[in-house]
Amino acid sequence: MTASPLAVNITGIGSVSPYGPLAGPIPASTVDPSVITAWTTPGLRRAFLVSPFRPASIVQGLKTRRLDRLSAWALVASSLAIQDAGIDLSQVDRSRVAVVFATRFGCVELTEAFFQSALAHGWSGTDPSTFPETLANAPASHVALLHELRGPNITVGSKGFAGESALLQAASLLRHGQADFAIVLAGDVLTRAVYEWYETADLLSPACYHSEPLPEAGGFIPSEGVAALVLESAGRREARSYAQLSSGRWASGGQPVEAVRQMLSGSVPTLTVCTTNGAPCATSPVAAVAREIAGPDAAVVPPHAVAAGLADTSALLHLILALSGRPNGGQMLLLGTSGDSGFAALLLELP
Amino acid sequence: MTDLQKNDLQKIIVVTGVGVVSPYGIGVDCLQQGMLSGKCCLTPAKDVYPGFEGTTASVSMPLPAVESNSRYSRSDRLAVVAAQDAVAGVDCESALFRESGVVMATTVAGLTETAPEIAQDPAAWYRRGGLKRAASYPVAHVADAVGDHLGIRGPRCAVSVACASGAMAIALAANLLLDGVAPMILAGGSDALCPFTLSGFSSLQALDPSPCRPFDQNRKGLNLGEGSAVFVLETLAGAAARNANVLAVLRGWAMTNDAFHPTAPQQQGSGLAECMRVAMEMAEVGCDEIGYVNAHGTGTPLNDIAEASAYETAFRGRSRPIPVSSTKSYFGHCLGAAGALEAAITITAIRSGALFPTLRLTDPIESPAVDWLRGEVQRQPLPLAMSASAGFGGSNTVLIFGSGPA
Repeated sequence: MTASPLAVNITGIGSVSPYGPLAGPIPASTVDPSVITAWTTPGLRRAFLVSPFRPASIVQGLKTRRLDRLSAWALVASSLAIQDAGIDLSQVDRSRVAVVFATRFGCVELTEAFFQSALAHGWSGTDPSTFPETLANAPASHVALLHELRGPNITVGSKGFAGESALLQAASLLRHGQADFAIVLAGDVLTRAVYEWYETADLLSPACYHSEPLPEAGGFIPSEGVAALVLESAGRREARSYAQLSSGRWASGGQPVEAVRQMLSGSVPTLTVCTTNGAPCATSPVAAVAREIAGPDAAVVPPHAVAAGLADTSALLHLILALSGRPNGGQMLLLGTSGDSGFAALLLELP
Repeated sequence: MTDLQKNDLQKIIVVTGVGVVSPYGIGVDCLQQGMLSGKCCLTPAKDVYPGFEGTTASVSMPLPAVESNSRYSRSDRLAVVAAQDAVAGVDCESALFRESGVVMATTVAGLTETAPEIAQDPAAWYRRGGLKRAASYPVAHVADAVGDHLGIRGPRCAVSVACASGAMAIALAANLLLDGVAPMILAGGSDALCPFTLSGFSSLQALDPSPCRPFDQNRKGLNLGEGSAVFVLETLAGAAARNANVLAVLRGWAMTNDAFHPTAPQQQGSGLAECMRVAMEMAEVGCDEIGYVNAHGTGTPLNDIAEASAYETAFRGRSRPIPVSSTKSYFGHCLGAAGALEAAITITAIRSGALFPTLRLTDPIESPAVDWLRGEVQRQPLPLAMSASAGFGGSNTVLIFGSGPA
């Protein structure tokens, strides 16, 4: 099949990540994994964690007392992205603003809390205020509530490529005139059950167990956070575009090289390939695929450790980090591959 | 055929396969026959889940064996069986089929496999065999189960927007087909009954202990059910190229959000009414042309009154009341599968001309714009029908199906 032509602009960036809550690009800095203290661990355990902060100190008047961290972060990240895009929502037809949220584990923090209440009180004594907030679409619906956004409100998951899926679904809404703006969010929260699942499945990097720097090794360091982008069709006069999403391919199998080359139409003179999954090193399999697609001399950016730790939802934070490097014009390919899950490739035109 | 005609055919989304697993059994014919007979599948919950009060509808027949390297949850297995049923008329060895996409809705996903003990000591629970069980927890696993089992490798994603999920999966799949990302997409929803959701809805006091009575003045809440429905969707051009039998045309679809409350619908049903308006606009039909609405109709006090108001708004000016029924009265609310199962029933109504009444509707909500279907099955030609879905978080999705190529 042909690649889907999208042509929508990314005009706002917001994030709540281990770098903190930020509007716009993320300034260059180094973040080390934090020691996990939220639960008792059998020894040193590290991950890229979001430091606690008061949402109302970032978004004035924001009330998040009853929400889990994922929903609270979605509210903050969406607010920062809208602010960064310079959109005055009071001047916008909010029935034409969509929210598309990508997640792997959803509101797992409250799902665990619901299970705890079942353990403590039996299935007949569970907490009614928790149950609706365990639904995966709770964060997206809170974003709609906060900003009074009445357009399509979508929550998606996709093994390996939930972030890419959300971006493509949002672009599709704009392309088909089903929305004028889309707030795209992707993220997850790290809990004990998630961390220990990774650990028991032997997926973690040795760096999770040591505080000193280690040579490149397999596995990954889990991360958490929510990244947000504002997407809109070309046309808003005062809009500044970080990049234009021009086409995308996404599949759950098959060979990515030929498919992505076909999407690029054979011309890759100024292409930078930002890879989005796998180990954060130049020898990562995804980097090899990137070179095969774009040639041995292509600029290939290896997966970023902090973003890669978000697994299925890493694409948005990867994209934000890539755009934060202030790339100068040309084309950028956001590429994710996974041996058993296929690939996703998004082509962006940089201003 | 001219290029212009071919281009037009690529903009029309058609249904060329429907697969169903419902409390009636496997297959859309089984569903139709069961409903035509007026059989209600709702039974006491304690028959399946000892200790739970209330009424549910479960898929009681043993599901066919589904071989897999990974552990499938019950939601996965329901989806795989429905998908196999849907592709019965498709050449599953063709290159075209291999490039197909999957968009599957679920809310429960692998929660059926997860025990409360995971929250106490996760590592210990994983070591006791929970590791493989927990792998099916992400909502994406249902789409992967369908895709892996059928050997298809196009784009895959899961949709999870509470009770509007199943309908939204169909809407999003239609968008992706228009984008040309895959030649064919299997889209639908699947959710299994499990203690987590039974307990959750019970804690909210949203369950009717008896069989539910949607749109009745004396309704007391919903009943939970389980099942799956999967559709083969493709463009009319694609269907024509492979001489596929077109079962229905997806004429219009729309998605909105109430932005009103985390669980309660906006009282006037304005979000759902707007969703119906936009879907009719997309389908280029007036409200007089819709012959039937398969309602969301949960049987909860708040949903049904808001939904009735939505019909008042969306069908204002219509020359005669719009026929509406809730088929949740037959086999409960199947959550993430509900919108897909009700889309299957809507297509069945179009194809058979049989409009299923709401069961146990004796004293309907007063709503002059609505003809609440009750009593006997009505038979009439039905060129166009609508399926409406709504859910926690304010999500609404409306689908409009037609009987043949527009």
